[in-house]
Amino acid sequence: MKSIWLAALLAIVGSVCGPSSVLAHHSGAMFDREKVVELKGTVKELQWSNPHIWIQLVSRENGTDKEWSLEGGSPNTLSRQGWRSTTFKPGDEVTVRFNPMKDGTSAGAFIGARFSDGKTIGRWD
Amino acid sequence: MSRSAALCAATICGLTFVAVHGQSTTSPAALPDWSGAWVMEGPTVFDGATVQPKNGRAGDAGVREFPPYNDEWEALYRKHIELVKQGTFPDPISTCGTPHGFPRLMNVPDVYEFAITPEKVFVVAENGPNILRIYTDGRKHPAAEDLWPTYNGASVGHWEGDTLVFTTISMKGFSGKDVIVDRTGLVLSDASRVTTRMRKLDAMTLEAQMVVEDPKALKAPWRVSKRYRKQPPQTWGWDYACAENNRNPISAGGKTLTLGPDGKPIDKVVD
Repeated sequence: MKSIWLAALLAIVGSVCGPSSVLAHHSGAMFDREKVVELKGTVKELQWSNPHIWIQLVSRENGTDKEWSLEGGSPNTLSRQGWRSTTFKPGDEVTVRFNPMKDGTSAGAFIGARFSDGKTIGRWD
Repeated sequence: MSRSAALCAATICGLTFVAVHGQSTTSPAALPDWSGAWVMEGPTVFDGATVQPKNGRAGDAGVREFPPYNDEWEALYRKHIELVKQGTFPDPISTCGTPHGFPRLMNVPDVYEFAITPEKVFVVAENGPNILRIYTDGRKHPAAEDLWPTYNGASVGHWEGDTLVFTTISMKGFSGKDVIVDRTGLVLSDASRVTTRMRKLDAMTLEAQMVVEDPKALKAPWRVSKRYRKQPPQTWGWDYACAENNRNPISAGGKTLTLGPDGKPIDKVVD
């Protein structure tokens, strides 16, 4: 896992567009919005469901597979932003950015992703 | 009848029908066009004019607004703000079981749609989902003995030209758990009463000017303005089935949990 503390610009972007704006139905207090983690992994599943979508991602760490749960906005809002229920398919190799859980558990608030063909979705500045 | 008198009579008849049962309804031709889908401008802070820090977002630590609370309710708000800082101010809608309540209904993300008929106006908020019924057929609010506190209360209104004016009463308000106004910890009591004036400022902008009165919580009327931006033509509204896959239930201690794909909390500490 490559964990990066991004500079002021990304922090500002995160404060404007972070979890509170996408997590419409509950508090985002569990996520560290000052921190952005970048992680490479393989999509296990996209749960395209209300109130929020979830990307289940498997990363390889020290020879062991680790599953991450990444929470996004509602499928309603995301569909109006160009997402589809097939945007993330099982087996897709992606690099994702997210605000991690404050307690260090393997979950976070999705920010953006870059696919192996270079296409991006979400915020990928 | 003079020409001006005839014109006046025609205008009155055009604006208001008095139907056979004594109901007063507005002519369909006189109703404004609020068609399409709309999205609230700005973050889900109820009173963006007073929020501190400027552009602060509901749910972030230390963000607050400045309603004209009395001392008791200011102290309650400060208590909520501390709970927000600790991540233990529960948002009741996280349970996916209850409506947002009024006036929070006017302060949600996702799209709004408005169905205007001669007898009533429906405000349909995709988020929730929530529906507000505003009766414009001349009826009055039910008598006190016929009312009970509900999430969205009871709304009656009328048209003043292209402006919808309605008053909402009998909301549940905050009783320790039920209805909040926004995630900064803002709350109102069950005595609150909101008068809303809503109109189209231009083709792309709807405005709601609200005056909140609350003899239990407020020292003075609280004026709040919200704006809504029209979305591209043929924008869809969808189901918002909140309970479909809610992986963020609330713990007994008020903490928002995160469930793994197996449905079990992945938080290191649950309470």
